[in-house]
Amino acid sequence: MGRATARAPIELPAALNAPLFRMQVDELETSACRVVLDLGAASTPMLDLLGRSRCRVEIADLAGFGGIERLSIEAPAGALAAIAASLLPSHNPDRDIDLVFCWDLLNYLKPPAISALMSTIAARARPGTRVHALIVYSERSMPDRPGRYVPDKDLKLVNRAVPASEIAAPRYSPELLGRTMGLYAIEHARLLANGMQEFLFRLKR
Amino acid sequence: MFERGKKEDDLDAAAGFKPTATSRSAESASTRAASRSGECAVIGRSIEINGDVRGNEDLRIEGDVSGTVELRNSNLTIGKEGKVRADVYAKSITVDGTTEGDLYASERVIVHVNANARGNITAPKVGIEEGAKFKGTIDMDQAAVERALSKANMQATLPIGERAPAKSVDVKVAPKNVARETTSSVNPSAGVR
Repeated sequence: MGRATARAPIELPAALNAPLFRMQVDELETSACRVVLDLGAASTPMLDLLGRSRCRVEIADLAGFGGIERLSIEAPAGALAAIAASLLPSHNPDRDIDLVFCWDLLNYLKPPAISALMSTIAARARPGTRVHALIVYSERSMPDRPGRYVPDKDLKLVNRAVPASEIAAPRYSPELLGRTMGLYAIEHARLLANGMQEFLFRLKR
Repeated sequence: MFERGKKEDDLDAAAGFKPTATSRSAESASTRAASRSGECAVIGRSIEINGDVRGNEDLRIEGDVSGTVELRNSNLTIGKEGKVRADVYAKSITVDGTTEGDLYASERVIVHVNANARGNITAPKVGIEEGAKFKGTIDMDQAAVERALSKANMQATLPIGERAPAKSVDVKVAPKNVARETTSSVNPSAGVR
């Protein structure tokens, strides 16, 4: 996460084909009422999509509520976990999380923060909970704020954010993510057309 | 009891508000708190209500409301200046301002672009505009909506004395051009209609 420089915005495809996302939506539509945690901002297209599956949706909007800045401090793991817990919506112990969307967000957090956040989520999640993430992989730079992805009618993801500048991308490798998110296993990973890697993690326990 | 100073009465008269000689009750507080605008009652931006707001007509809130808002068969709009720290029950809820609390609607909840909403939303249809700030849980499952609203209905049908208690209902009015702020208290069991 380097210093911001004023450069032309990255050209992103109008709609991103994300097969692992489509797979998760298909699974939601064939299963009972699920609890979905979205670490991004709420959007009507996403709510329409999840509403069809009778999902309960927890919205954290970490970027919108200062979560990236608050998790960027140097602090012991316990303190970071406490910050992460305060950033998530209040948890209903009778309704554990089944699926997590954290598109693009992890690119803006350092490994200790990712570890604290994902451990906090694991404590609120059912065994086998899946985490869907988009990680910058082939590009060396990325917009200075996370993308605002929303699904279109074909279940492709459209980034509606308008970045003004770029910063260096951390380009987290699968190995580093596997170590950082020790409670989760990488189930699938695919390279997407915009140079991002689409990951599906699964909570081990 | 609801008490007001003479200066306030003069301002009310100038604004077209005519209290009855004995109106020192929730009725007068509500009449003062909610001025009518077309078909929709309005809680103006200089009004602060601390307690329960109940009714059967559409309402727009531009002031500060803390407690509970129950308009089970009507529509609520929280305007751009509105600040609501309350659990809200209505047919439909539109948020343009700030809310902190749970929103329950039998039809829909819409959160507009400049709104800031924290809490849980339970409604069969929910729309959140791009740019709106929302943090909380959204439940669109029809069964969950019905459970939540029937719980609220049961509460509302209880005799007033058996409902969840409201510590007090305070209506603060800070009219323009008046430096002094007055506080009026009404019977908590009466609510504000």
